Order: sequence, then C-alpha cells, then structure tokens
Amino acid sequence: MTVVSALVAGIALVALGGQAVRGARTVDVQLAPRTVHDAAVDDAFYACIDTQAHSLVRPDQPVTLGGTNLADVVTMIKGFGSWLTVADPASTAQVTLTLHDGPGGPGTCLGTTVVATSRGPGGRTVVRVGTGAQVPGQGPPPAPPL
Amino acid sequence: MSTVLATLAGICALGAAGLLPVLVTVGLRWYAVPLAPLAGAVAASLAATASLTFGGPLLDWFIGIAVLAAGAVCGLLVVRPDLGLRAEAPRGRGRGRGRGRAVDRVAGVVGFLVVVLACIWSLRGLRTPTVGFDARSLWVMRPGWFLHSHAQLLVDLRARNLVLTQSAYPPLLSASVAVAWRITGIHTARLGVTMVAVLDACALAAAALAVVQAGRTVAARVSRAWLPLAAGIAVAALLVVVAAGITEPFLTNGYADPLWSLAAVGAVAFGLQLRSDPSTRAAAVILVLVAGMTKNEGFVTAVALVVLVAARSIGIAGLRGARRRLVTPLVLAGCELAALAWWPVLMKAIHARGATSTFSASQDLANRTDAVAHGFSPYLHVLVLAVPLAVLGGIALRGVRRRVELGNDLWAWLALATGLVAVASALVTGNGAIGPWLLSTAHRITEYPAVEGWWIVGLWAVVAAAGLAGPTAPDGVAAADPTGAPVAVDDPTSDGPAVDDPAVDGLVGAPR
Repeated sequence: MTVVSALVAGIALVALGGQAVRGARTVDVQLAPRTVHDAAVDDAFYACIDTQAHSLVRPDQPVTLGGTNLADVVTMIKGFGSWLTVADPASTAQVTLTLHDGPGGPGTCLGTTVVATSRGPGGRTVVRVGTGAQVPGQGPPPAPPL
Repeated sequence: MSTVLATLAGICALGAAGLLPVLVTVGLRWYAVPLAPLAGAVAASLAATASLTFGGPLLDWFIGIAVLAAGAVCGLLVVRPDLGLRAEAPRGRGRGRGRGRAVDRVAGVVGFLVVVLACIWSLRGLRTPTVGFDARSLWVMRPGWFLHSHAQLLVDLRARNLVLTQSAYPPLLSASVAVAWRITGIHTARLGVTMVAVLDACALAAAALAVVQAGRTVAARVSRAWLPLAAGIAVAALLVVVAAGITEPFLTNGYADPLWSLAAVGAVAFGLQLRSDPSTRAAAVILVLVAGMTKNEGFVTAVALVVLVAARSIGIAGLRGARRRLVTPLVLAGCELAALAWWPVLMKAIHARGATSTFSASQDLANRTDAVAHGFSPYLHVLVLAVPLAVLGGIALRGVRRRVELGNDLWAWLALATGLVAVASALVTGNGAIGPWLLSTAHRITEYPAVEGWWIVGLWAVVAAAGLAGPTAPDGVAAADPTGAPVAVDDPTSDGPAVDDPAVDGLVGAPR
C-alpha cells in the first residue's frame, strides 16, 4: 500500500504542480501590454458614450433604444443600459437614442456618437448629438474575450 | 471613494449580513471566513427576488433578510442552547492532547493564510481593468435595474425591445453588485467587476480550505499527522493556482461562470468529499445556493448537488427506514430547492424576456453530440489523469479513504458527471448553431467539470499521504478495523458525528 500511496501522491502532486505553472502563465496574460491597452480603449469607449448619453437624457426620462442595427442596441445597453429608464411600449418614449458611426474625429468616441431624436414644439423632429467626451481613433473597440 | 475601498465596503456589507448565520451553522472554522460574504450574497439574491415579487427597495429587503436570518439563528440558539457555536475541535485519538491539538490549530492557521495569499496572488489579473462582454452587457449592467423602482424593474425585465434574453438569469451576482453600488454611491462597471472577482475568490478559498480541512480530518486518523496536514495545505495552494488558470480571464472580468463553478466545486468538497458533519453540510448548503442563484447552468448543477448531498445524508440506513435519517435531509433539500426555484418561477410568472421562449429540440443529435465532445475535450484533459488515478486509488487506497472518513470518490464523480451532462445536453438538444455556440462558450461552461477533476486529484493526494503516514497505534480507533471499514467514533472532543453515525441527520445535527 505504501508504494501505491507514494505513486498516487507523486503523480497527483507533479500534475498539480505542472498545471499550477500553466495556470500562473494564463493569469499573467492578463497583465500583458496588449491586454492592458485593449482594456483601456474598451473602458474609454464605453465611458465616452455613457457621458454623451448623460448629456442627452435624464435618468428619469423614458427613452427607447432605436436603430436597425442589433449590435448598436447591445452597445448602448453595455454603455448606459444600467441607468436608462426604458419606455414600454416604445411609442411612449420621449427620446429615441441611436448610435451614429462615422469617421473618427473630435467629439466622437472612436468615430461613434450618441444621437437623441425627440419631438419638439409643433411636432417637429429635434435631433441632438451627445457631448462632453471623446476618444480619438477609429472604432470599434477591441473585442474582449467571450 | 476609490474602487478598492468601495469593493471593501461592499464585501464587508455582504459579510456582515452572512456572518451570524454562518457562525451558528458552520461554526468557528477557518472556512467560515470566505463563506460569510457568500452567505451575504445569497441574502442579496433573495432580497432582489423579494423586491421584484413584493415591491420595495432592494437595500431594505437586504437589511430585512439579514436581520431576519440573524434573528432566526439567535432564536435557534435560545431554543437549542446545546448547539452553541461549534468551535473547531479535532477528532480522533490523541488529538485532544495538548501537542496534537496545537499542531492541528497551527495547520489550520497556516492553511488559511496560504490559501488566502494564493487567492490574492491569483487575482493579480485585476490590475488590468478588463470588463468582459457579458459582464458589461448583463452582469454588471443589471445591478442598475435592481436599483430602479419596482414598476421600472418589471419593464426592464419584460420589454421586448431591450433584446437581452439573458436578463432572466438568476440574480445573485447583479444583486450583490447592486448592494455595493447602493451603499457606496459608486455605480461603475469596474466596481462590479472587482466585487465579482472577490466573490469568486471567496468561493475559491472556501473550496480550497475544504482540502485543508480534509488534511486535518485525515491527520486525526494516522500516526504521522504532519504528512496529511502538509499535503492538505500544499494541495490546497496548488489547487487555487490551477483553478485560477482554468477560470481566467473570466475570474477577473466580471463573468458569472467562475462563481457558480467554484461554488459548486466547494459544495461537492464539503457535501460529498469531506467527512459528513453538521458544519460541512452547512457549508455545502451555502455554496449550493450560491451556485444555483448565479447562473442557469449553476442552477441545474445545484439541483443535482442538492439531491446527491441529501442522498448521502440519508444513506442506506435511511432507505431501510431509519426515519430520523430520512426527514431532516429531505426537509433541508426541500428548503434549498424552494429557495433556488423562487427566481426562475418568478421569471415565468412575470413573462420575463428570455424566460418564456418555447424550446424546440434539435433533430441533429448525433452530429451535435460529436461536436460537443470535440468542443469540450480541449478543456477536460484533466480527466485523462483523474480517471486512472481515481481507479487506482479506488482499488488500492479504498480502505485508507474509508478509514480516514473521507466520502466515497464516486459521489464526486457523480457530481462531476451530472454537471457535465446538464451543460452538454443543453448544447446537444438546443437549436442554436453549434459551432459558434461552442466557440464562444465551451471554455466557460467546462470550468466546473475541469476544476472538479482537479479537486478529485487533490483529494486522492491527501488520501495517499494518509496511506504513507500509516494508521494510528493498535489501540487507536482507526487501527481497530484492519479492513478499513467505517467505524463509529465515540470521541468526546468530536465536533460532529462520524460518517456512519445514525445521528448524522441534518444541518445542525446532534448536540456536542
């Protein structure tokens, strides 16, 4: 029994040690310059569209997330979905928020801007563009691991 | 307030809510430390569910549930003062003596410190401010919804134009983050990620401390106690680093998968692998609830674990009609299942987005099964080691394992298999495109079986150390049975009944 015990203990400890070294290397990848850069750009992008959305609507204002692009809706949920007051049904919304993707430049978040569309006095359509933050460069932000 | 301080405040709030129930049910054990914030997270999850069910602010419900739980355990102590706070009391011959007890206590302190340091080191990925895709779109976005009014929360969960079907997932993570957001006033995804990471570390520490505890339990049954004690501590430290490697990058980017996986592994360790006593069963209950209230995959696995832990508690004697061994585990399992089912039933009742879609099974089962097997296999290479090692151990070291009162290895394999089959079945029978589905999820949803495989390997290392340490002297309890069959122990220092003791019948168990 002693031989088997030694064998089992030896195999298990060596395997655990080897896998632990491998695990430590996996964690170290999170500290690689590329990972740090991608995370910083990602954070800056979402903070930027969050600030722009705050410049367009109040947290208690019923809104709907518009546009035909599903990816844009998900991006808006990721950026400012936590504090928005979503209108249901959508027709009761005071403001429709959309993303406008264009070339990178001043006032844009990697080329993206948040746009608010609402009905003004007399029923005319009012379109406003988000302000208060910008991230230079061209989007989209680097894709994080799924 | 910085994110670090806000995280500390959030974890302290959860810990304060869970402290008293954990101290009374688990006892004064080192593994009670990481379990306290996890119990608080369960309270936050119940608070979110109650808030959605009955209305009222989340924080009010959180405080109310925490006070209610504390009152309930205090009332229990009044009715049953004999229960007291279960102090750590080593078992077995010689452990009551001064030197043996001192060595055991030192091992407990060293094991705790080593595990905590390993966990802190494994969270170094937090230095990079990554927020994962699902974390930003769901796990650390939904806390804001839990701070909305009741009417708006219903809209958030039901409105079809919000497209996110995953928002019906169980609430534990988001509710815990919401509590931190509410008490600190900081509503950032970064705080959400750090809160989730620390809860992950708590679950990891609890699961690892179960291995330290296994070493200490085993040490009471052998002549050279230092061998299993050292093995338990070393294996626990290695397992922390191994688990961190398997669960990264999701361990530190706000995903829910590491929490339910690590909590389920801890539940298996306490509920099915360690010697069954009131303290380990209470720890298993908390970890099962954490796993089941975190994600749908965790819910399915937790239900299976509730059944397995109850089956182990009931045992053969219960099936033969020992009513005392039948009732308490069944009542406890029923309470656990009711708590776990509250959220999913509520999602159905309110017609939440993602909870009411009709299911249509795929007809292409053979190809999908093949794809799932190939998709999972790169992440489950541990089974190539764990299976033969378990077979070898099961044949040659079975007597040692029974003598040192660790659970039969088959329980852990059953737990691993049920979790794996549950997840694989969803993929095989679902109708989503299997290739992209596997590509985006296989790494995450195999975390539980992969980590569980390593825990099985680790426990066999501790058993093997017991084999090397040799049995106690002939007048010792364990050595009295050369076949290694389970023996009932009449130890005045015991903190709970032995594995085959008829008194093993419930969460709080027999009086000391």
